[in-house]
Amino acid sequence: MKMFDAPIAGANYAADTRNYPWHRPPDIVDYDEGVDYLITKMKEPDQLELVFSLLEIDAQVTTVVSSLLMQGISRGKFSIDLAVLMAGPVARYISIIADEQDIKYDMGVGEKDRVSITPTSLKMALGIYDEEETLEVLEEAPVVAIPEGGLMGAPAEDESASEDEQAAMLGMVEEEEPTDELA
Amino acid sequence: MKFEDAVKKSIKAFMQGKTPRATDEMSEGGIFHTPEYFDELEEMILGEVKEEESVDEDV
Repeated sequence: MKMFDAPIAGANYAADTRNYPWHRPPDIVDYDEGVDYLITKMKEPDQLELVFSLLEIDAQVTTVVSSLLMQGISRGKFSIDLAVLMAGPVARYISIIADEQDIKYDMGVGEKDRVSITPTSLKMALGIYDEEETLEVLEEAPVVAIPEGGLMGAPAEDESASEDEQAAMLGMVEEEEPTDELA
Repeated sequence: MKFEDAVKKSIKAFMQGKTPRATDEMSEGGIFHTPEYFDELEEMILGEVKEEESVDEDV
């Protein structure tokens, strides 16, 4: 079955690759222009609030930078290669503005293992997610009974057709020749 | 290597004072956003903050 999981040969020639921003040439190809774009973007109040909020819930600077860069890549602003090059300056800028605001942060470039930020951990940190409530919901989940009877229902054991009927359904029984009524 | 690992490696190199050499050679006047530029920016921004704090204390 694995051989059918692969794309059809030549599918790439038939697909419209202009559907996604990252399939088109990026808007920014210059290093300094890209860093300027990201710094200007980070100066926007909503973006700045997001960066500070992430740092305050102990997200590492590397995680914040990764998410900012992924955002730009997904919008087709710059390529992945340029994004990796710009990571350093962006992280340095974040550290400066965090120092300015007296926010403690972890750069995340140390040897110790980092705790990955997942949607669930972020929700828990923000207090959106209640573990007990979820457990109760899981415990109370109703057990769906398997429908019996009807066309789409699972057949009961005693409802199965006899061997003769099954053979007839499969067309394995010789059909009777029609008799000539006039004869 | 995952994207996050590449980002981490890039940040680590920049923090050690390394800049993308090929990109630096390609641009006419060299790259602008160097580690030295950010050191100056840090001094400027944090210097201003310290000055403001000292003015507040004097008042």
